[in-house]
Amino acid sequence: MIIHKTFKLSKLVLILLILPTLIFAEPTADVGKTVFKNYCASCHAKDMKSALTGPALYGAEARWADFAREDLYEWIRNSQALIAKGHPRATELWNEYKPTVMTAFPALTDEEIESVLLYVEGVGSGAIGGKPQVTAGAGGVVAEEKSNNYIYYILFGLLGLLAIVLARVINNLSKISAQRDGTVYEGKTLKQTLTSKGFVTFALFGLIVLGGYTTVNKAVDLGRQQGYAPEQPIKFSHETHAGINKIDCQYCHDGARRSKHAVIPAANTCMNCHTAIKVGSENGTAELTKIYASVGYDPNTNKYVEDYANKSEEEIEAMFKKWISDQYLVGNGIEKLDKEGEREVREQWDNIVASLTNDQKKTVGGPIEWTRIHNLPDHVYFNHAQHVSVGKIECQQCHGKVENMEVLEQHAPLSMGWCINCHRQTEVKFDGNEYYESYEKYHEELANGTRDGVTVQDIGGLECQKCHY
Amino acid sequence: MDKNKIWIGEKDLTMAKDFVENSQKEFQSNPAIENAKLAEGAMQLGGDRRDFLKMLGFGLGAATMAAGCDIPVKRAIPYVVKPDSIIPGVATYYASTFIEGGIAEPILVKTREGRPIHVEGNSMITGHSGVSPRAQASVLSLYNTNRFRTPQLNGAEGFTNASWDKLDARMADALKGARNIRVITNSTASPFAKSAMNAFKNKYPNASIVSYDSVSAAGLLSANEMCFGSKIVPAYHFDKADVIVSFDADFLGAWLGGGYQADYAKGRKVADVNNPKMSRHIQVECHMSLTGSNSDNRILVKPSEQGAAIAALASEIVGGVSGPKLNAKATKAIKKVAAQLKAAGSKALVVSGSNNTYEQVLINAINNALGAYGNTISLSGAKTSFTGDERDIETLLNELPSNNIDVVIFNQCNPLYDSPNAAKLKAALSKVKTKVALSFSPNETSAICDVIAPVNHFLESWGDADLGGGAKSIVQPTISKLFDTRQSEESLMRWSGIAIDGDDYALGAMKKAWKNNIFPTQSNFVSFQGFWDSVLHDGGFKGTSKSYSFSAPSLAGISGKITKPSNAELEIKFFESAHMGNGSGSENPWLMEMPDPVTRTSWGNYLAVPVNFDGVRTMLGYNDLKDGDLVDLKVKDVTYRIPVVQQFGQMKGTVALALGYGRSNGGPVGTNVGADVNSVLTLEKGHIQYYNTNVSVSKKVGTEENFSCVQYHHTFGIKGQDTETGETINADEAALVSVTYGVVKQGYQGSLTDRSVVYNTSVGELKNSIARLKEKRAEAQHLNENTMYPFDEYTETKYSQGHHWGMHVDLNACTGCGACTIACMSENNVPVVGKREVSRHHEMTWLRIDRYFYGEVENPNTVYQPMMCQHCDNAPCENVCPVNATNHSSEGLNQMTYNRCVGTRYCANNCPYKVRRFNWLDYTTADIFPANQVGLGLDTEVPFYGDNLTRMVLNPDVTVRSRGVIEKCSFCVQKIQAGKLTAKVEGRRLQDTDVTSACASACPSGAITFGDMNNKKGDLSKKLHSDLNYIALEEVNVKSSVTYTMKVNNRDASLDA
Repeated sequence: MIIHKTFKLSKLVLILLILPTLIFAEPTADVGKTVFKNYCASCHAKDMKSALTGPALYGAEARWADFAREDLYEWIRNSQALIAKGHPRATELWNEYKPTVMTAFPALTDEEIESVLLYVEGVGSGAIGGKPQVTAGAGGVVAEEKSNNYIYYILFGLLGLLAIVLARVINNLSKISAQRDGTVYEGKTLKQTLTSKGFVTFALFGLIVLGGYTTVNKAVDLGRQQGYAPEQPIKFSHETHAGINKIDCQYCHDGARRSKHAVIPAANTCMNCHTAIKVGSENGTAELTKIYASVGYDPNTNKYVEDYANKSEEEIEAMFKKWISDQYLVGNGIEKLDKEGEREVREQWDNIVASLTNDQKKTVGGPIEWTRIHNLPDHVYFNHAQHVSVGKIECQQCHGKVENMEVLEQHAPLSMGWCINCHRQTEVKFDGNEYYESYEKYHEELANGTRDGVTVQDIGGLECQKCHY
Repeated sequence: MDKNKIWIGEKDLTMAKDFVENSQKEFQSNPAIENAKLAEGAMQLGGDRRDFLKMLGFGLGAATMAAGCDIPVKRAIPYVVKPDSIIPGVATYYASTFIEGGIAEPILVKTREGRPIHVEGNSMITGHSGVSPRAQASVLSLYNTNRFRTPQLNGAEGFTNASWDKLDARMADALKGARNIRVITNSTASPFAKSAMNAFKNKYPNASIVSYDSVSAAGLLSANEMCFGSKIVPAYHFDKADVIVSFDADFLGAWLGGGYQADYAKGRKVADVNNPKMSRHIQVECHMSLTGSNSDNRILVKPSEQGAAIAALASEIVGGVSGPKLNAKATKAIKKVAAQLKAAGSKALVVSGSNNTYEQVLINAINNALGAYGNTISLSGAKTSFTGDERDIETLLNELPSNNIDVVIFNQCNPLYDSPNAAKLKAALSKVKTKVALSFSPNETSAICDVIAPVNHFLESWGDADLGGGAKSIVQPTISKLFDTRQSEESLMRWSGIAIDGDDYALGAMKKAWKNNIFPTQSNFVSFQGFWDSVLHDGGFKGTSKSYSFSAPSLAGISGKITKPSNAELEIKFFESAHMGNGSGSENPWLMEMPDPVTRTSWGNYLAVPVNFDGVRTMLGYNDLKDGDLVDLKVKDVTYRIPVVQQFGQMKGTVALALGYGRSNGGPVGTNVGADVNSVLTLEKGHIQYYNTNVSVSKKVGTEENFSCVQYHHTFGIKGQDTETGETINADEAALVSVTYGVVKQGYQGSLTDRSVVYNTSVGELKNSIARLKEKRAEAQHLNENTMYPFDEYTETKYSQGHHWGMHVDLNACTGCGACTIACMSENNVPVVGKREVSRHHEMTWLRIDRYFYGEVENPNTVYQPMMCQHCDNAPCENVCPVNATNHSSEGLNQMTYNRCVGTRYCANNCPYKVRRFNWLDYTTADIFPANQVGLGLDTEVPFYGDNLTRMVLNPDVTVRSRGVIEKCSFCVQKIQAGKLTAKVEGRRLQDTDVTSACASACPSGAITFGDMNNKKGDLSKKLHSDLNYIALEEVNVKSSVTYTMKVNNRDASLDA
């Protein structure tokens, strides 16, 4: 969770830093970041310093400094064209990397390219990313959502103070009145006050009220886990997939439109893309290897392993360790594994084994056991198809802005009150669905204007056996 | 006695005190207290104030701790490679065939996430929808915890697990040097299975096949061989017959595997009330069979008189036959029957359940003389699936001692239980070197075997079935093999050294067989793959087969070959019930708990004894026996101590007992439940006779502790005499009805003294009866109009749009088979409660079939009334629930919310139909507390439903209820919701085919129609307009959503004279 928060914070700072410049549509690192993630990140390393499919980008400007800036633009837009022209730098790179062809991006504007370069240099030099650098005064105050609780605390304190003052006043008045009467006033000691009947009764009453309140609230919350964001066996980022790469939710969660379950995709759905995209930025490569280990895909040879279930553990380990170490070598541009590399390979493999196995599952092969986040009690029937295909509700309405979640968390409380509330407010999509024609009276009322809309409640959406049977 | 009187049983007629008292109570006992008595210390209810405080403190502490604790991490495990055919959360259906011996029934298997959970009928090939109880329940057998899980070899250390390689090596060894080999099997409907056995026979010329059936049709087959030249079973068309005469053939039950119900029901429905037409069905029998109970007239003859009765009819119709003497009453009746048959001519149909070849020859002669062949009986649609002949077993018995038989293979049969000569066979088998059981679960026969080659369940197998008339259906697996088993065909073919290409041996073999044998016989498909795909989709294909013709055999001297009536004072009839078969259903808890439709007893076989009513108040039972009394039944030299049940319609001088019980090795469910009577069956001319004349029944020797007959459970609307005033009132209202207003005796809410649960009439009186019914209904509706609550307004605003679910039950089509009750249990996760609980009125069935008698007390007619929650739109249960756990939906459903229910049971007390069930104990073991399990009657280590294997059968869309809540029929709300969703997703109006309840889709005779009453074009709306319709207890103004039809019979009173 800590990581998550700082990540968000750093982004916020970043945005605040660059906010003023953004308005003028000049090349900015932020635009560069987006462009980089959209177009470059699948082949070029995120740290800008290691080579993946494509070369490390840091220092590219320096390396192209001898040539016209336009050459660099052209190179990025369509490298093959430049090679064909026989540009010396282009030919040099081609000889190094052929036959891997860089994808052409003819649509990139000069500003976008400049932005990417800005971003690349920023990241490479450590000016962007890494540890959050709070440069005060650049953009203003970092706004945090504040709770109103302090008002109550102040109020509570004031009242307490008032009570003490009043008690004091009463005490003094009693003293004065006693003096006038000529009697000796014996003020209560603190102990006497605290053990007096009134105080004890009050304290008990307060305790019971507080205790009851807490108990009831806790009991109601029992089993709810809003905000639950457990660590998953694979550091799958919805932000990368749904946010940056804009993959449709239902591409992977293909049950949502036709089944009660949205369905956690089978590993072979991942393989639709990841047979091609084998390395990723940050954790990507290490995490992708887990998918290969699950389905039995040899990334070294780009082939599915035959009879994977019966392969020995050593064979599997050797296969993936080779892949990991090769990636390390490529990433660091070295020929032989160094000490650091050996440790890295060992650690990555151990991590893979730890993520994919448990008490019941002894081998890395086989299904990935994700940690379930959204849990409805067994006596609740919920159907995704009803909400997605018929109700045409956006996924985000219940699941939050998943496309912004690096680590997925439960957005909604998933409580019955929450469901009911939505059923009260949501209007049924009567138009265009012949099914609802059987609600003749509502149609009449809608037509003659006596009714504005039909909510889910109006067609029985609050009845017990719509969800419990 | 009142001619129109309807009664449910002896206790009702005599107003037995315990019955009257019990029928006033919704709940008969309090098991919490009974259990506490049963198990010492299991439930200490004592304690003092300090204990209470301690508990309170602990409770609070525990709650606080629990509130602070984290929720356990749950896993979500996706597929690695998702199969295309599976969408998690969406059911996939496969066409297959329920196959058991010669019985074959095309079915659709509903699977969820790869596990079969429900069976429905498949009408693609036969045109019949619906499915039998046994086929329904077969899905539970798949998850039988007692089934074999690995191959086993019997050695010095008893049975030890082995690998298939080891087993095959042992078999190769045994078969190699074997001098003689026998394969013992039952009839099989599967050509694939037959070809596997033939392949084995070809490989080992010294092998021969012994085919027998425990409930034998050998007499019929031999007769048909004489008449048609081949051992066929012709196709009977009960729908085309105007007069049906059945001599002890239980064709609505288990006769020849059943399946005649749909056609029969067609002839029994009254389509046009102004011109009513209905077949007349006359049953000649001694015990009240399921078929007999549905008949119009029953002619009572003793089992030994069956031959004489057939001969008497033959002499009238065919002529030239003189049979032995028959009882006078029956003789007279048969004469009249003959006249009716002759009048019907080619629209007549005569069948017999006799296992005497010559009696069956006479039946064939009668049908021929009437002109039935080609009309009501089709010889082109003949089945060849029955081959069993018990004389083969006799031959084997003679061969065993001398013929050097070294290997005997039992192919999915259990002769050491179900053969009359089991004991002799067991002794003779001891000489055989290698005895092999191809068996699904341990049974009496596998116990003595040396090699156990466990077979798949049919839902895990490939196969096919002959449906008759050339129609073939396919058996395809619906789940991967759960255990290390192998289907019998594969084992036999492997032992025959047949090699098959491909990974899946059975599939390869099946495809090969179909490609070579069946594909060439059709012309619709050019490529085999196309043909195969269509077969897998449809579940088979309609082929053509050769036709047979009748050639008259000589009837000379036949009278000497038919059964001679016995002079014995008492005869016992043994019958096969449709759900139990001869023991095949005994390992299935659903079938064990399903009440026999006629006697309504469960968990065992009960001796049916005749009743004798003085017409007023006293019932003189046979030997003064009452329901639940234990007697000593002596047949031949075997004495059984069994409970009796008084059976209306049981002929005097006869008693009856069901086959299929008393297994000595029937697993945790079937072992020692009831009495095994196979050993007292006698052979006559080599054929098994299902009766015995050497029998005596003692006086009462005790009382059955757990008498689990459900007939007197949950009764309602019973009329009887008030003990104080002597006036006719409802038994269950006796406590309420005490005020007399003026001269008219008034009941609670006005007119309860004449309740309307069942209406019945005959074809002849239909017009008058309809008028009377209209009058009654008008009266009831008038009463209802006087309600204080403006119900019509409510109906107008609430149910006039959207859906309004309703049901129609045609009592004329319902034969009482019970398929709907099993379908309901399967669809709705209804628990099995066990014998003891049933005896305490705690059966959990959401849908029961009430049985009512009317007419002559000693030979009555029967009404079967499926009774489930009526989803009253003015439901009395809803008003009394203190926590609003049961309430009404805008679609007219009476909803039950388990999580709200606190178990006050007020609703059940207030339900006029008595359809609400309370979970007294933890039947589903939703939370296993040992104290809960005491005396459940299922004495296994893990109670039924407690293990993960059995739980695989549960429907994931329906909540499993725990202890302490009420449950009841939901109109299959999960299916309603699913159907609505389908229509919504497709953006069209809801159609009839979208939504159906489990009971409606299971009903083989189409008696139940479920649908949306607001859909004016739907099936239901059409049926709601019949003049025969009525609503049960309409006068109590509960606005029930279920409509019944008046029961109409076609009884010929002159036959009774």
